[in-house]
Amino acid sequence: MQEKRKPLAPRARKEGLVIEELPDEVLVYDLKRDKAHCLNPMAALVWRHCDGETSVAEMVRLLQAELKTPVDEELVWFALDQLEKSFLLQERLIRPPRGRLSRRELVRRLGLTAGITLPLITSILAPTVVEAASCAHVTMSCATVACCPGCTCVANLCAGIC
Amino acid sequence: MEKIDRLGWVAGISFSAFGVRAGVRVNDPAALERLLGYLPPGWKPSPSPVVERLYSVVMGCANLGARVRRFSLLYADRNKLVRTLEPDEVFEVLESDLQRHIAGAAPRRLFVHAGVVGWRGRAILIPGRSGSGKTTLVAELVRAGATYYSDEYALLDPRGRVHPYARPLSIRGETSSTRPKKYPVEALGGRAGVATLPVGVVIVSEFRAGVTWRPRRLSLGNGALALLAHTVAARRRPRSALSILRRVVLHAPVLNGVRGEAKGVVDSILKRLDANVNGRSGHD
Repeated sequence: MQEKRKPLAPRARKEGLVIEELPDEVLVYDLKRDKAHCLNPMAALVWRHCDGETSVAEMVRLLQAELKTPVDEELVWFALDQLEKSFLLQERLIRPPRGRLSRRELVRRLGLTAGITLPLITSILAPTVVEAASCAHVTMSCATVACCPGCTCVANLCAGIC
Repeated sequence: MEKIDRLGWVAGISFSAFGVRAGVRVNDPAALERLLGYLPPGWKPSPSPVVERLYSVVMGCANLGARVRRFSLLYADRNKLVRTLEPDEVFEVLESDLQRHIAGAAPRRLFVHAGVVGWRGRAILIPGRSGSGKTTLVAELVRAGATYYSDEYALLDPRGRVHPYARPLSIRGETSSTRPKKYPVEALGGRAGVATLPVGVVIVSEFRAGVTWRPRRLSLGNGALALLAHTVAARRRPRSALSILRRVVLHAPVLNGVRGEAKGVVDSILKRLDANVNGRSGHD
């Protein structure tokens, strides 16, 4: 019998992730996509509340209690959008029938103060071994490594100015 | 037995470096002597012939008539890495490939593509891609009295402390059309560090002519990402990488910003590190 979940109760994805907690932020490595994310404090707070049981309205109340300041529901939806785009939620969000606000629109609408920061997720694609190593300079072999920017690999030797 | 195994190997060496066992076999004993100068810092001969990576060097003969060309060849395991008429190229490719292999496979060290110097018991890490000016900045810091640790890799242990990887500095010439040359740190009037150091500051910067260095401090998480972007084994050992980098950023500020000439920022970097160690904010 399928468990009945409350409506609009997002659940954080945990499978296939490596998670490191920092004092306010969270580092997440997606093993499937080789992408690493840094969740800023607001994004991290929202993600922590994504337990599949807490609705968006309840999340707003919880965040207000934790931050001791009013929190707009649009802020939470913005965070959830960021989390979904980063594949950090288990399922696609079912959003109420109103448009998503862009970051600029959100800042304008909420007039964000020093007490509240916009949820933000910074992401990088993890480098491969070759990408993280030194490139080959001019006249050096490019048999096993890429030439530095400005040079091209010609007959296994880097040519150009790099 | 593979075809390559049936070639006439007359000499070889097996060794370990940073927990990785490798070997080289050659068809010419003189090549083995030359090869020793291309092995990574800290290598030790190994009595066991069992290795994780085997290089096979076939040196072409120089004393042949004009009609005959004998290429020199380099294999890594069964894969041909280079076929060349220039013997030097064999050694350079071997050095580069071996270095990269060790950086990705070392079990107890996390290799970050970075320059490193030591200053008053702390390490200054300068991560960056090739051409960002790491070696130039390292050389200037050494000239200012810092101890040389590496111009290529920061070796981090599980506690986030830095170990030396003091290979000769690879310094570019005046123009970009010449290849870099190798200089021992003593040629710059400096000395190589031997002690393990905690990280004191991380400088994420790239050279841009005429710019004044005004770095901003990254958040802990973004600082860790800035280091991960240059971590060789990021994809192979992400769990270990994140854990170690977390330890680094918890104790060392990560400063991000473009800079001008290296000489112009050395004093500022050393003052920031001193201020951080002494417990002040570290910001101007």
